Amino acid sequence: MLRKEQNDLVTQTGLGTPTGQLFRSYWIPALLAEELPENECPPVRVKLLSERLLAFRDTKGRYGLIDEFCAHRGVSLWFGRNEESGLRCPYHGWKYDVTGQCIDVPSEPAESGYCQKVKLKSYPLVERGGVLWTYMGPPEKQPPLPEWEFATVPRNQSFISKRFQECNWLQALEGGIDSSHVSFLHRGDLESDPLFKGAKGNKYNLGDMAPVFEVVESPGGLYIGARRRAETGRYYWRITQWVMPFFTMVPPRGDHPVHGHFWIPIDDENCWAWSYDYHSTRALTEAERAAMRAGKGVHAAYVPGTYRPAANKDNDYLIDRAAQKAGLTYSGVEGIAIQDSSLQESMGPIVDRTKENLVSTDNGIIMARHRLMRAAKALADKGATPPGIDVAHQRVRSASVVLPADQPFKDAAKEALAVRPGVAHTSV
Amino acid sequence: MLSESARMTTAAEAKFRINAPNSKPRAIKVIALDKRSEEVVKRLAKSPWNKASFFTSVHFESPPKAGADWSMKAWLNDLAGRTSKLVDEINSADLVVMVASAGDKAEAASVIGEACALKRVMTTALILDRASASDDALSETLLHLRPYASMLVVADDEDYIESMLVALRA
Repeated sequence: MLRKEQNDLVTQTGLGTPTGQLFRSYWIPALLAEELPENECPPVRVKLLSERLLAFRDTKGRYGLIDEFCAHRGVSLWFGRNEESGLRCPYHGWKYDVTGQCIDVPSEPAESGYCQKVKLKSYPLVERGGVLWTYMGPPEKQPPLPEWEFATVPRNQSFISKRFQECNWLQALEGGIDSSHVSFLHRGDLESDPLFKGAKGNKYNLGDMAPVFEVVESPGGLYIGARRRAETGRYYWRITQWVMPFFTMVPPRGDHPVHGHFWIPIDDENCWAWSYDYHSTRALTEAERAAMRAGKGVHAAYVPGTYRPAANKDNDYLIDRAAQKAGLTYSGVEGIAIQDSSLQESMGPIVDRTKENLVSTDNGIIMARHRLMRAAKALADKGATPPGIDVAHQRVRSASVVLPADQPFKDAAKEALAVRPGVAHTSV
Repeated sequence: MLSESARMTTAAEAKFRINAPNSKPRAIKVIALDKRSEEVVKRLAKSPWNKASFFTSVHFESPPKAGADWSMKAWLNDLAGRTSKLVDEINSADLVVMVASAGDKAEAASVIGEACALKRVMTTALILDRASASDDALSETLLHLRPYASMLVVADDEDYIESMLVALRA
């Protein structure tokens, strides 16, 4: 459990909050590059960390992320005209460039220089690996661009999606580092999902339903190791990476692409669940891409024209009680992503953690909260740089590996837990 | 279903969650396995807890014997210097937390772990002060603890144990 003030601390990410300040220390995914597909395309409304913004791509291909509302009368610039290297408000013609600088106020003489006095708040927006990343903190503390491996491999080796999730970001993150739910909620998917089935490691997963966990602090966050019995005298380890504050990488299965998530607050009651899949040494096959587009693996099928899952709270996630009873799905909900989001959203927009009863196997969650609170306080009180900003903390991999019983995973799998260009993930 | 009087939870609906206690405090026994951990446990014990008790040392004559003639001769010392039988303490525990320092051999873990396994009590092992030990020394400690802990945590700072106990409603 958390005390109320602790729960507030880790769930509130608006401007001026300690965890909001923490998030504003990192490059965060803001949009898929496909959302701004060409120069002068329609702008996109973006809410991030409880701030309403507008993303657009100007005549020269420059990306901008600016305050959504015109400085003149507060009109949403989403109605604006994206033309001649700027976004023009359709109400009275005020025009802004990608930095938020007003470059034209038609009602004022150009010689007056009035427009130079008007500038909307803006944040940098940079494309990397098919994602548009932004940094919302103080410009003088802007860190180097992110170096997550999935964003640096050739584009034919990765697939990235995002889905709207109607709950606080921490509920979603905690699902990502709670390895013990997999044996229940997702048990039907190991043998049926095209992005999981066939791996030798699945046999160990299904053969030992009571894994033992080890949680070890890493420089950037946590290693969460789940240990199951393998052949005599050996353990099958699945090692998840959590890098602060919002990145997770799930251990791979066989030669399937490896996947993971970013959990990004939209506001305190909604978040984006970003899902990536990539292979470190080969292009994804067309069959793999088709499965990902269809919502298999960690991805989701959408309401057409949106990033909202087709199975959502308004239709009870299309729960199928017959499939639940027949054991085809454990909760009656289909697909890993929606199995997770349905339960996490059912807790309410911000779960009251004063009422929860954690147990020993929840230590990954307890440790993650502990580190988040510690980093947020250290940043607020002493200006300490939080873990996960150093790009060395981002060059990590998850792993699945069989080790002799007397070897600690952190040491025996040391090489496997770091990016090795040209070398595939260590996977069973 | 149309007959239901509540739908998926919204912010407005969340306030209707029943506000009544949904659990009773669990008995958590925290046992220091070495001298450095004793200091941590002594400091922790000064905080108010629901149903946690703290022990600073373990004495045993021999490892537990398995099988029908199971026996164990081991005792715990509490902070007041009282001695109690390890088995009695484990019998009344919902969770046993073993605290070790990185680099320590944590020999008592086998005695505690065997007794907990027999009595079907969950064990968590916490290794503190990781920075003060080499990787090899840490591995040695892990090796001793791993067979006897159903959850193993390696923490950089000793504040973590307090966070964990609060989270577990100790």
